[in-house]
Amino acid sequence: MSSPFISAFKTPDLRKKLLFTVAMIAIYRLGATMPSPGVSYSNVQKCIERVHNSSSAGIFTLLDLFSGGALLQLSVFALGIMPYITASIILQLLTVVIPRLEQLRKEGQSGQAKITQYTRYLTLGLAILQSSAFVALARSGQLFGNQCPEYPIVPETKLPMWLTVLALVITMTAGTGVIMWLGEMVTDRGIGNGMSVLIFTSIAARLPAEGQSIWQTSPYKFIAVLAIGILVIGFVVFLEQAQRRVPVQYAKRMVGRRMYGGTSTYIPLKVNQAGVIPVIFASSLLYLPQLVIQLMGQKATNNSVLVWIDRHFVQHLNDPFYVGTYFLLIIFFTYFYVSITFNPTEVADNMKKYGGFVPGIRPGKPTAEYLDFILSRITLPGAIYLGIIAVLPNLFINFVGGNKQNFPFGGTAVLIIVGVGLETVKQIESQLMQRNYEGFLR
Amino acid sequence: MMAFAYTLIVLLVLTSILLTMLILLHRGKGGGLSSMFGGGVSSTLAGSSVAEKNLDRYTVLVGIIWFACIVGLGLWMKLAQNGAS
Repeated sequence: MSSPFISAFKTPDLRKKLLFTVAMIAIYRLGATMPSPGVSYSNVQKCIERVHNSSSAGIFTLLDLFSGGALLQLSVFALGIMPYITASIILQLLTVVIPRLEQLRKEGQSGQAKITQYTRYLTLGLAILQSSAFVALARSGQLFGNQCPEYPIVPETKLPMWLTVLALVITMTAGTGVIMWLGEMVTDRGIGNGMSVLIFTSIAARLPAEGQSIWQTSPYKFIAVLAIGILVIGFVVFLEQAQRRVPVQYAKRMVGRRMYGGTSTYIPLKVNQAGVIPVIFASSLLYLPQLVIQLMGQKATNNSVLVWIDRHFVQHLNDPFYVGTYFLLIIFFTYFYVSITFNPTEVADNMKKYGGFVPGIRPGKPTAEYLDFILSRITLPGAIYLGIIAVLPNLFINFVGGNKQNFPFGGTAVLIIVGVGLETVKQIESQLMQRNYEGFLR
Repeated sequence: MMAFAYTLIVLLVLTSILLTMLILLHRGKGGGLSSMFGGGVSSTLAGSSVAEKNLDRYTVLVGIIWFACIVGLGLWMKLAQNGAS
């Protein structure tokens, strides 16, 4: 296991890439712990401690998961990558609705670059909205559920209040921009996809603290959770790697005096073609009712609809309604995302163009139908598996009594960690392969 | 001391805006969600141009000033609070 590591570091440009990625991660973590100007670090720490001890339902738990604990500390990078994810989701959904975006997507590289640019603008717009919302929530004390009124998070200084608040909002917005840039730099010059590496970092950064809090309740529980976690990780790795190989035979053809083709390959259809994106979509959507309740505050007690939502979607995250909706949403989004990313007609057309065919199936439309049939059947177990893994922590809340969504060894966290880890290792391996070294994965 | 704080906070606001602008000027390399979380294999091997390199340099420079402003303001706040209590 260690020899690929050594050879990875012996290769000069791979070493450079790895070190660059590590440096970017270090900057990211530094910014995530540094309090924004105007925020009292000691007061925030006291509030966090109190909220943890009272074990009330943390409202922004999922957001906090993605930002690696930076959100509740109101640090410079408090918003994390969430605005970028939200912006990507919005644009991804809009491509289905708006014909112009659909056209851009089909245009290939240049169109894709334009969509990315739109995503960047939208990210900053969302960042301004979210940062002002969080600063407002923090100032009114609602961020911590009104539990620590005597410790103001943004205390009075000699500077006028409006200037402090303005600086806070603008700093957080710029921080989001910086995170976006860090991610792009990692994608460009480092290893792996920058955004997912950053999410990976912030989730991994939480694990020790979560583990410790479980350890403190009881060591036996900790060992049990660890065992379950390892099982779940094994299961996730197994299913992430699973794929169906549809054989493709290429016809031999003569170009001039040279012979081309005649090879047989396969199209890998992964069981979970969509990755963890459905889980992120679904949890982002389910976080909306919590946000509404939070913003309505006291008014929520009068409206019967809001009370119902509050009872089933906010108070207890192991409520059957919540778990059921989450599960169904994940299945829906898995199919949705697979249909966006994998287009059987396009694949079939491409195969036909280069003289390829699936043995026993005629090229063109029948092949497309065949691929579609296989894909929709293979996605079903994939979707159910995603749903089960994501819902797992909600079912285990009673057993562990931990911190709801933050339950470290199940659900979104494990999916993201394993998914990103596999992807990154594969990329390192492909770099190693170019120089004929043996890789990590066999 | 007040003049120092005012300078810092104004500088912070200015650098934040500048930094955001500079970052938006960059060519997006994220590729959106499609390449995220193992969605697909896509790698663009295009090297960065000279303009992009200069842009990088300016962004890093502004970023360092921005960072320094935040740290400076944080220190000032701590000192001011200790003086008050």
